[in-house]
Amino acid sequence: MNFIHKPIIASVLVISFLSSCTDLEIDETDSIITRDVETGDFTPLTNPASALNDLYNKAGGDFSTQEDMFAISEITTDELLVPTRGTDWGDNGVWRQLHTHTWRSDHQFILNSWNKLNGSVFRATEIIESKPEASVVAEAKFLRAFNMFFVMDFFGSVPFRGVNEGPDVDPMIMTRSEAFDFIEKDLNEALPDLETVTPGTDNTNKATKEAVKFLLAKLYLNASVYKGTDTFDNADMQKVIDNVDGIAAKGFAIQEGYFQIFEPTDDTETILWLKSDIGPRIWTTLHYNQNAPDNTGGGWNGFATLAEFYDSFEGDPNTNFVGDGQEERRGFVPDANTANAKNIGIGYGFLINQQYDADGSILKDRQGQPLQFSKDIPSLVGNGEAQGMRVIKYHPYDPTDTEDANTPLFNSFRQNEIFFRYADAHLMKAEAIMRMGGDATAMVNELRSHRADTPPLPSVGETELLAERGRELYDELWRRNDLIRFGQFTAPWALKEVTGDPTKNLFPIPETALLSNPNLVQNPGY
Amino acid sequence: MKQLILRCIFLFSAITWAGVLQAQTVNGTITEPNGPLPGANVLVKGTTNGTTTDFDGNYTINDVPQNATLVFSYVGFAQQELAVNGRSVIDVQMSEDSNALDEVVVIGYGQTTVKDATGAVSSVTSEDFNKGVISSPEQLIQGKTSGVQIAQNSGEPGAGVSIRIRGTSSVRSNNNPLFVVDGVPLPSGDTSASTGNLGIGSSSARNPLSFLNPSDIENISILKDASATAIYGSRGANGVVIVTTKSGRGGSQNGTFEFSSETSYSQPADEFDLLNRAQFLSAVQAFGSTAQDLGNDTDWQSYVTRNVASTNNNLAYSQNYGSGNVRATFNYADQLGVIKESSQERITGRINASQRLFSDKLRLTLQSTLSRVNDEAPPLSATAGSTGDVLGAAYAANPTWPADTNFNPGDRINPINLLDNWVSQVHTDRFLVNFSAEYDIFESLTAKGTVGYDKSNSTSEAAIASSSFNAGAGDTGLGFRGNLEKTNRLFEFTLNYNKDFDGSTIDALAGYSFQDFRSQGDNTSGRGFSSTNLNEMASDLKNSKNILESLVTGSYQSYGFSPKTTGIFITRLFPDPTIDNIDGASTPVQAVFTDTYDNTDELQSFFGRINYTIANKYLFTATVRADGSSKFGPNNKYGYFPSGAFAWKINEEDFIGDNVSTLKLRVNYGITGNQDGLGYGQYLRQERYSGTGISNDLTINEPGITSIAFVNPNLKWEETTQYGAGIDFGFNNDRFNGSVDVYRKETRDLLLSIPSAQPAAQPFVFQNLPAKVLNEGIELSLNYDILQNEDFGWTVGFNAAYNKNEIQDFDGQIKAGTIRGSGLTNAFSQQLESGQPLYSFYLRVFEGYDESGNPIFEGGIDNQQFLGKSALPDVTGGFSTSANYKNWDAAIYFNGQFGNYIYNNTANAFFTAGQIGSGNNVIQDVVNLAGIESPQAEASVSTRFLEKGDFVRLQTASVGYNVPLSGEGVFKSMRFSLTGQNLFVITGYSGLDPEVSTVPATGDLLNGIPIAGVDYSSFPRPRIYSFGFNVTF
Repeated sequence: MNFIHKPIIASVLVISFLSSCTDLEIDETDSIITRDVETGDFTPLTNPASALNDLYNKAGGDFSTQEDMFAISEITTDELLVPTRGTDWGDNGVWRQLHTHTWRSDHQFILNSWNKLNGSVFRATEIIESKPEASVVAEAKFLRAFNMFFVMDFFGSVPFRGVNEGPDVDPMIMTRSEAFDFIEKDLNEALPDLETVTPGTDNTNKATKEAVKFLLAKLYLNASVYKGTDTFDNADMQKVIDNVDGIAAKGFAIQEGYFQIFEPTDDTETILWLKSDIGPRIWTTLHYNQNAPDNTGGGWNGFATLAEFYDSFEGDPNTNFVGDGQEERRGFVPDANTANAKNIGIGYGFLINQQYDADGSILKDRQGQPLQFSKDIPSLVGNGEAQGMRVIKYHPYDPTDTEDANTPLFNSFRQNEIFFRYADAHLMKAEAIMRMGGDATAMVNELRSHRADTPPLPSVGETELLAERGRELYDELWRRNDLIRFGQFTAPWALKEVTGDPTKNLFPIPETALLSNPNLVQNPGY
Repeated sequence: MKQLILRCIFLFSAITWAGVLQAQTVNGTITEPNGPLPGANVLVKGTTNGTTTDFDGNYTINDVPQNATLVFSYVGFAQQELAVNGRSVIDVQMSEDSNALDEVVVIGYGQTTVKDATGAVSSVTSEDFNKGVISSPEQLIQGKTSGVQIAQNSGEPGAGVSIRIRGTSSVRSNNNPLFVVDGVPLPSGDTSASTGNLGIGSSSARNPLSFLNPSDIENISILKDASATAIYGSRGANGVVIVTTKSGRGGSQNGTFEFSSETSYSQPADEFDLLNRAQFLSAVQAFGSTAQDLGNDTDWQSYVTRNVASTNNNLAYSQNYGSGNVRATFNYADQLGVIKESSQERITGRINASQRLFSDKLRLTLQSTLSRVNDEAPPLSATAGSTGDVLGAAYAANPTWPADTNFNPGDRINPINLLDNWVSQVHTDRFLVNFSAEYDIFESLTAKGTVGYDKSNSTSEAAIASSSFNAGAGDTGLGFRGNLEKTNRLFEFTLNYNKDFDGSTIDALAGYSFQDFRSQGDNTSGRGFSSTNLNEMASDLKNSKNILESLVTGSYQSYGFSPKTTGIFITRLFPDPTIDNIDGASTPVQAVFTDTYDNTDELQSFFGRINYTIANKYLFTATVRADGSSKFGPNNKYGYFPSGAFAWKINEEDFIGDNVSTLKLRVNYGITGNQDGLGYGQYLRQERYSGTGISNDLTINEPGITSIAFVNPNLKWEETTQYGAGIDFGFNNDRFNGSVDVYRKETRDLLLSIPSAQPAAQPFVFQNLPAKVLNEGIELSLNYDILQNEDFGWTVGFNAAYNKNEIQDFDGQIKAGTIRGSGLTNAFSQQLESGQPLYSFYLRVFEGYDESGNPIFEGGIDNQQFLGKSALPDVTGGFSTSANYKNWDAAIYFNGQFGNYIYNNTANAFFTAGQIGSGNNVIQDVVNLAGIESPQAEASVSTRFLEKGDFVRLQTASVGYNVPLSGEGVFKSMRFSLTGQNLFVITGYSGLDPEVSTVPATGDLLNGIPIAGVDYSSFPRPRIYSFGFNVTF
């Protein structure tokens, strides 16, 4: 008997002894474990100010790519398109679908935009709920409003998740109108605790009272769209005017020298810029053989504009060389005489016809033929390398660069993408005046008076104002927003398949988002 | 933990010594036809009381009851059972085993014979291993076993190997089985440090099993069904592969040396039929364009590939001195790849020793290996973009360009220039030791304690110089340095009870296991190199890192330093997260950013097994394992994995005739789990500083802190339920034998990183998907000894398996199978959806070209659809035959797979009219499309590039000659052999090889879904001829 019992007792001892060997909890070794799994309470962020810094970095990064928010705001409009050139830019149809308005709920850029913007909203919420000092809360509220503004603008429905809601909780959904109120509240609450900014100072890359006022002006200007009222309310329009006046009161004004605004030097127009790798704005449009400092291998030869949009500018419809009589904002293409080490042969604005190298010699395409950008693009597929005019606002060369012209150009326009610009605010005010029944002509002409070779317009109605916004703000991410507000997003333009379908004014809720949250309802038409 | 081990060892010792000794002895000699048989096993049946013979074949065994039965066994010989009947001397002659079913197979925490196995277990011993150049143990058993699909991902030395046992059950990255080496379960995941992404994209890491010297391996067991793998619980769902290394059992008393050496010659098995200068110029013209003609005639492929010789040398010493044995080996292998700058050098040493003490009651075993693996990788990538990697560039490069490293093609890559300006090396040291002590407490009860320690230390150095053209190095050069240190500790304690009753036997096992896995290291990227010399770049980055780390004191997560930062910024997590800025110093590299990591996962398990045999006819097995893991929260920390099996040896029944030597029916059921690929602490909310990059202008954004995981206390194990049945049969004394198995595997609660319901801290969150993956299949294996003469023997073996795979009950669609190349950004080829197999292709249906030469597709250009075609094969199989005549032997071995499809991403990206329209070289086939396909045509992902992947490969063919020796001279044996690998492939696939797939790093997978059946400029598979010789002395 003894022999039987001993091992059993011993085994029991061993097992019971060993079961307390480890509790299988992980240690804090390379991350801070901030939340008690048991209670489900939110533990404040350990360093909200640092998280805020990360959120600025994230926002800049999110908007820097040519894809996602930029693409769905610009390629979907009459300003830009991405033709498939040989095999290049086929990209599974993502670009074509945007321009033809045939996108579906599985479109990658629409999904990415949803994820990026909403991800930032949650991070901002975490910062706010960590209850740091008032200025940090206010900046986070601005960033939450900024990101949520685009969710509301693109998708209509806006999901919201509280900080103590884990992955088992399906976020609640705000209607577009509720989201409007939420954003408005965040901005108004942020306002008192933010710093004021004056033109050209360091703080133009963070949330300020003036950035809040700009976003409020955008919000009120589009209020009829977001609230579904279809009529512009005078009270809203007055708020647009008041907020723009508030910005102007701090010294913001229209700056002479249109393309210098997009250099990282001080100017009187920049209200908010973000640290955002500007390369994609440059490389997407330049041909492979054009100079592209910071991107050995040249441009990516993609983005082009539509002939009709180019024709909305004043100047010769078929050329764009220096002194061609074109208005300043249409830019110019350097030629054999004007190409130099400063502009490295790359023009400003719209690039058409023969392109030149920095030494004034003509550039060739990859087949050795002269590189001449054509005005027309007959089809979205089957294009050659040189089809389509190119659009460039951020020039790859920085004239303030103090380095020797022979050394690599490190300081081209990196890390500085303008989001809020005073000229936009000025035109918003003009539009608000017009929507209230006033005359916007004087204000529009005031802007034009600061742009070279733009004679005053005899009168400004809706059509002229929208066209003026296009000429002033092309490639700056606002075109879709403008077209919808003017009722023109569903209008026909070149190579667009679907017209007249108002459901295209909203993007579909991404398919994966619908699956992840049963509270979401797909937008009509998808 | 240290204290835990000490306490446990103390307790174990205490129990061990509690045994009572009894003495009653049997001794004798075991011989085989050629003389004494050292190292044979002697066991008192129904107990764990056993011993092995010494060099002279003598054994002594104590505590033998008078009515006991002794079991004599040795690998390769038929097992014998003899009743003691009071005798004190029993001599035995063993006969060579013609019957594979008597062979001993290693199973989880024990061993059995094929005859007595209740589960689907296959065992491959060293003599049956694949021959030739073998860089990792999986290749030894490729195609040897039905239902086990083994594919090397590319022809690169040290490339990863995919093993699928009974289909693909996980939608996540890792479907490889658990590897257990000498009782130590190895952690999954990489042991080699990352080499970062130096502009041309990322690749998956190296095969972590390269550290094992294949010639040290005695036996590999593959546990296929749940009743066999459930003893490994949460890690058993993909099957278990148990590797046992050779011991010194077969050595002589005075020691035996064995030396083997092999020289191999490799060449690319296939190359693309690219156009030469004249063909290229006329082809461009045929497409109505003008070619850039720089006047040369360069065969770019020949500048990238090479024919090359490799070597593999082994020296082994083994000694069996009766009460113990020892084996020591040294291996040096240097395998060079058929692409330049690719190689794997392996240096390993191993010492295995065992010692029996106290009348064989205490048995101590040590297995240890120390290895260094040096990997060198060419500029190849699974994620290369429009300009491709070095292979893609070689395919596309204009043949009129000069073969000159200084030639800059403007917007494309010059392959020679890229090879010259690139380095990527990883050095990995690994130490694996396993010590166990086994003690017979009673004749029927044995206790065993095992301590395992596995540590690897890996350093990577990679750089691309600014003198490279158009490959992403910019003006400043790029460098990367990684360190990865992995530590895996195992403590295990088992009790084994084995008792024979009248006509029945109980074999019971109970055990406890604790294992922890620590992974720590750092990744450093650098930019702003003053040198273009690759060695200087690597040492400059190392020195810069050292300089900065000498200034950074205290604990930190990351630091960065560049002319654009405020001194050195240091992010610290503890005690409170802060960023410090301290003064910088002059560093050879202008901008440096380092991020560190350090995390540990733990696994604690309790397990048991009972085998109950009645009348040697009815065999019952039940196992259970409880696994607790630190990867899960309190709600599901422990998972429970039971299994049961029943086998009926019908041939033991009286109604079966003598000509049926084996007939066994097996049925089994079990639940196993899988948690692999689930990151660290995914159930908790964690905060960490973000990573950051260095832009070409040397800017480094100071990172902020951010949440990296959601709280999810409900996260739980992925669970696979498996049902199976099988029949083993043998006729004519098993001269013809085989088995048939059927199974059904249902995997539930699929762990997958799925899109979070926004707004969320992370875009993806690990969740258990309410879906299941079904694998159903049938496996067949047959062996026939056609001839068995004294001088002449001939054997054939055949195995085949059919598997059907389907995902069910899944709401939604997940895109997968990224396609890369020019104009193929955002392109994908596969989709995960209910009712389809995993890796199902989802493509446009290609219908030719319109009048302007653009491709047209069914339903328009944006209409992708399922085609009922998947990358998973329906049927896999192997056929082998071997023959021997006197001292000569020969073997050939074919493997094949059928019913799978391959997406030829290489052709999609490089071989279209649009490519020649852009001035790129193409293959001859494209020229035939002149006038049909426009040189400006787009090349969307479509069925145009989907091809059947069926193939039959002559995997190896070998001839050997054993030199007849008297045995009196210096040499005891001598053998010469000649082996050819990958001699030919029969396939309709137009790419280089139908068995490769690009495997991007996990972070580059679309929606976290792994890729199969996509061939994007894969490393070509070599054809290898090896000459080897082997002597013992």
